[in-house]
Amino acid sequence: MFEIEFGDSDSVVVEGRLDAAQAVKAQAFLDQVGGQCVLDLAKLEYVSSAGLGVLLKTHKRLMGSGSGIKLINVNHHIHDIFRYSGFDKLFEIVPASN
Amino acid sequence: MQQKFSRSFDELKNIVTMTEALFLQDRIPSGLRNVVDLATEELFVNMVTYNTETDQKILIEMLPHEHGVEVSLTDYDVERFDPRAARPVDVDAPLEERTPGGLGLYLVLKMVDSIHYEYRNRQSKITFIVDRK
Repeated sequence: MFEIEFGDSDSVVVEGRLDAAQAVKAQAFLDQVGGQCVLDLAKLEYVSSAGLGVLLKTHKRLMGSGSGIKLINVNHHIHDIFRYSGFDKLFEIVPASN
Repeated sequence: MQQKFSRSFDELKNIVTMTEALFLQDRIPSGLRNVVDLATEELFVNMVTYNTETDQKILIEMLPHEHGVEVSLTDYDVERFDPRAARPVDVDAPLEERTPGGLGLYLVLKMVDSIHYEYRNRQSKITFIVDRK
């Protein structure tokens, strides 16, 4: 299961498993986003390199216009993936409170 | 536990179902799930994406290991590709030098506890182990 949609305060809520089968859906949604983008990952259970590619491509596009992606409510496992990938140096990341 | 999967990303949900069944059946610690899912997906996706000269299904075998799980993926009638020789990724590179792609095998090598490769009779078999930390 994977869902991506606009949440409150113009954030984008990502839920479920962002794997290679869902990367096209995620990219199509994020291609429509402009300006500063806050991705709420509280309900993201899993991300693979295909999902990381979607985040990187979108971040680079938005950074080109002076904005970018902020990742919030990042759980421990997802944060590990970001750290191993060096994404913790590329994105503003706010860990989940628990 | 073993199963063959078609060469399609749509099979990922079925691979996850297989992994879930193994973890439940053998009471494997759930803390290992995400690493097992990640490594299995990355290796499967790599075979589907780059071994395009065959249409044979990919065999995935999973069994409990002493302190975790052992997973093997076998691809038939393909060229040799040892994932341990994958090109390294500079994860410290600045954003402008980073490109999507290339991270999958890097993450596998970084996150699994051991990985083994066999190539015989045009069969390419990758085995990895994820252990309880």
